[in-house]
Amino acid sequence: MSEQVKVHGALAEFDGPQALMDAAGKMRKAGFSKWDTHSPFPIHGMDDAMGEKRSPLGWFVSAAAFTGFALALYFQYWTSAVDYPLIIAGKTYFSYMAFFPITFALTVLFSVLTTVGGMVVLIKHAFYHPVFYSNNFAKASDDGFFVSVMADDPKFDASATSDFLTSIGGTNVELLQEVEG
Amino acid sequence: MSATTSNASVRSTEPLVWGNPSFHDVTQTVSGIVEERKTPIWWWVAISISGALTLNFFAMMAYLFWTGIGVWGNNVPVGWGWPIVNFVFWVGIGHAGTLISAVLFLLRQKWRTSINRFAEAMTIFAVICALIFPGIHVGRIWVAYFMFPIPNQMAMWPNFRSALMWDVFAVGTYFTASFLFWYTGLVPDWATLRDRAQTKWRRLIYGVLAMGWRNGNKQWKHYELAYLLLAGISTPLVLSVHSVVSTDFATSMQFGWHTTIFPPYFVAGAIFSGFGMVMTLAILARIVYPPVKNYMTVTTLERMAKVIMLTGMMVGYAYITEFFMAYYSGNKYEQFVFVNRMFGPYAWAYWIMFSCNVIIPQIFWSKKMRTSIPVLFVASIFVNIGMWFERFVIVITMHRDFLPSSWGMFKPTIYDIGIFAGSFGLFFTLFLLFLRFVPMIAMSEIKGVLPQAQVKHHHGHDEGGA
Amino acid sequence: MQFNQETYTFTDPGRFGKIMLIVGIIGLLLSAVGIAVDAHQFFASYLVNFTFWATLGIGGLFFVLVHHMTGAVWSVSVRRIGEAAMATLPMVGLLAIPMLLGVNQIFSWTDSAMMHADPILEAKLGYLNVPFFIIRTVVYIGVWILLSILLRRLSLAQDSSWGENAPSRFLRVSGPGTIAFAFTVSFAGFDWIMSLQPLWYSTIFGLWFFSGAAVTIYAFFAITSHALAKKGVLAKEITQEHRHDIAKLLFTFMVFWAYMALSQYLLIWYANMPEETAFFKDRWVGTWTFWSVFYPVAGFVLPFVLMMSRHIKRNRWFLTFWAVYLLLFHWFDLYWNIVPTFHPDNAIFSWMDLTLFVGMGGLMLWRFWAVFTRHPVLPVTDPNLQDSLDFVNQ
Repeated sequence: MSEQVKVHGALAEFDGPQALMDAAGKMRKAGFSKWDTHSPFPIHGMDDAMGEKRSPLGWFVSAAAFTGFALALYFQYWTSAVDYPLIIAGKTYFSYMAFFPITFALTVLFSVLTTVGGMVVLIKHAFYHPVFYSNNFAKASDDGFFVSVMADDPKFDASATSDFLTSIGGTNVELLQEVEG
Repeated sequence: MSATTSNASVRSTEPLVWGNPSFHDVTQTVSGIVEERKTPIWWWVAISISGALTLNFFAMMAYLFWTGIGVWGNNVPVGWGWPIVNFVFWVGIGHAGTLISAVLFLLRQKWRTSINRFAEAMTIFAVICALIFPGIHVGRIWVAYFMFPIPNQMAMWPNFRSALMWDVFAVGTYFTASFLFWYTGLVPDWATLRDRAQTKWRRLIYGVLAMGWRNGNKQWKHYELAYLLLAGISTPLVLSVHSVVSTDFATSMQFGWHTTIFPPYFVAGAIFSGFGMVMTLAILARIVYPPVKNYMTVTTLERMAKVIMLTGMMVGYAYITEFFMAYYSGNKYEQFVFVNRMFGPYAWAYWIMFSCNVIIPQIFWSKKMRTSIPVLFVASIFVNIGMWFERFVIVITMHRDFLPSSWGMFKPTIYDIGIFAGSFGLFFTLFLLFLRFVPMIAMSEIKGVLPQAQVKHHHGHDEGGA
Repeated sequence: MQFNQETYTFTDPGRFGKIMLIVGIIGLLLSAVGIAVDAHQFFASYLVNFTFWATLGIGGLFFVLVHHMTGAVWSVSVRRIGEAAMATLPMVGLLAIPMLLGVNQIFSWTDSAMMHADPILEAKLGYLNVPFFIIRTVVYIGVWILLSILLRRLSLAQDSSWGENAPSRFLRVSGPGTIAFAFTVSFAGFDWIMSLQPLWYSTIFGLWFFSGAAVTIYAFFAITSHALAKKGVLAKEITQEHRHDIAKLLFTFMVFWAYMALSQYLLIWYANMPEETAFFKDRWVGTWTFWSVFYPVAGFVLPFVLMMSRHIKRNRWFLTFWAVYLLLFHWFDLYWNIVPTFHPDNAIFSWMDLTLFVGMGGLMLWRFWAVFTRHPVLPVTDPNLQDSLDFVNQ
């Protein structure tokens, strides 16, 4: 067992949604940058309290919707009017009215796939994360409310940050470090 | 703003969840069902029955592929028969889930939180059942890939002008979107199961499913926007899918099918039948898992009864409008279709449809009826029956077409009946698996609407008079 | 104009009503000259503007019915505006009289020689005849007026006595009322507009007519809440959150309208049956062709793309702009559906379109203002009022 155990961050538990919200305001004031609040459900207004920007997901989805729309319309035009022109039911080659339902469906399909794909990217999907070193953290998906600070935050200092977390009302303050076994 | 009124869309006279549970109680109740070590005996009994039906389903399909669709009762002039009846029936049922998750989400109907997971699962299974029918109805199942625009040696493309091709894309997209919506909602709950797992395998499987979810607000903010976007995208989708299904009929030149009200009329019918099925299943779930009663409360069921009554009346509006317009059109053929439906040899089917869909839901004017579980259960079964017969009436009453010499009656065969029953087997098998392995109530969403979850936020009411 | 912020009552309704009344009378007198000049044009313009202003009253009634049916919370703060809009229905009844007098000028099915010449039309004589048409119109408007009076009376009674019991009493009227509403509005659409081309029929037409009424009322909310706030009325009570909801509903019903119009067009275009396509063929001649292309672009594509953003919906000025835009488009929608039977060769706009619009509008708004200012502009004892005022979009 190595003597030097790397500290990845600190974790503190809070009483409930209101306490977490107040703590988030204090964390923000103290100038931390690589930190997060953890709660079993999204807390309305937490983004404001943490000073988080609105998620950019909407822009990706708009772009995807437009791509899906244009691609579907073009593809139907190309197959029906260019590659193998065929008159069916007395309709013109490029009968856009008849192409509308599929164009709509593909617009939606592209948007949905981008929404979910974009979310997976933006939430920084990772099976391993320092917060999981804490045994207490399992409560975050049940009824626990936590604040975590990562060690690569410029303001992070193992003891000072732990003290700060205690001072803003945190309990069960612990350092996130690898445990053997 | 006080803590109780910040939840402004629901008046807090009636709590959404009964029994005033803590956050931990919610986790315990819902996860407990999935984590129970011993599978209850009723579950084995139920899955044996539904599993047997499912096996029968596949056996009959195998025979169908081997022999050809002549094993069904389909014959001119009723070329579509039961497979299309069943297809439309199942797609219709598959509308409630996404409607509850998406439309009611946008309308801020918070009572949806207790049934949305459940209804979405039902949607996915119903759409799976639905997708099978047009697939096997093409007859030559081995060329089903013709439905997709795959470059081939004949240099031909699918006919994108065909309403049947629209179906492929609309229902396929609908399945994908519903599945992703359901999965997105499940991610935080997978994390809960992962964190509570007692065995290595459970932790591994639920851990992979949870995609490393760590409940951080920097995740929640993307998650919430994604959920909102999915709801926004799914709303027009859910309305478009059954509209597209209706065009299978309405783009034709067949009297009784070609009528402009079909898209909204089919959508209303789909919502109606979907809520009927959710009601049936919710009541069954309350019986087998009593703790669920505090979540799927009588109040929630009552609200669903109101939706059923409202959509039932919309369907009734469509029936009456169609009938009036047949008269008004002055068109003999159009008029004959409706007279034949009402008073012809299939009048019994028409009146089953009419009474189940329009008359029976009228009992929900009474609060006593809306809050009585046995009444709700029986009425929801009638809704299911009525909506199957609606599609039956639409498809089968083509038995008297333009040419009286070809008039005939439709006779379902044992394979029609077996495959229809088999689709119920598949549906219930999937549903039983869902009940056993997936949290049937969205835990994180329920926690978010509990009174103790509400916080004071210094939200910017704007300056008002500006 | 004087407004008491404490009791939410007008102590002096101001000059607005009087101005509207004068404008209305002048507009109608000017239009009356039109009967002598060109009666054909007069009745074309009359029908367009009558159906336009009727949808304001119908929309108001729809809003109030749905508000009570759903037990909606947020909309309590705009309820009295909706009720006052609904209270214009007696005026709609009054304005229907010239339409009924001019029924021979408006509807070709009143020509009995033409009707008897065609066996299909002859079969419709049981429905399309003048006495029955008049009876039906009286019934439709009568039902609406009855519902609006009942709902308004309950609403005022709520102010004085039984606040907490209100929901169930409202429900007793609005439940059956909604059924009556659905059929009367649809059949009004069939009778007043669809029967202009007596051979043509479309089952979705009633829903199309309804969708226009729904757009109208939410556009009306957006405009009135803005205008009232500038005068200091309900400025704090109708918040940005309420306007955001109004905007969302306006957008939704705009899309609903497009869905109705598209369903009708797509199915008729696809089946391509002569007796149905005649409707669109009539709108694909002369300058009508231009307006038929304009129709989907202006009615759906532009507002859909430009109104989608949350920012636009929450901005007072943008919302007011789009509300006015959609109201004007709704007018055009009716024009596009009605006028081709009067001017089959080219689209012709007449000065009577404008004078009748202003004339009827003046009378309608006069009535609206008179009803609106007579009582508190908020249902002060409604059990949901506080929740509505505190409401925040989540």
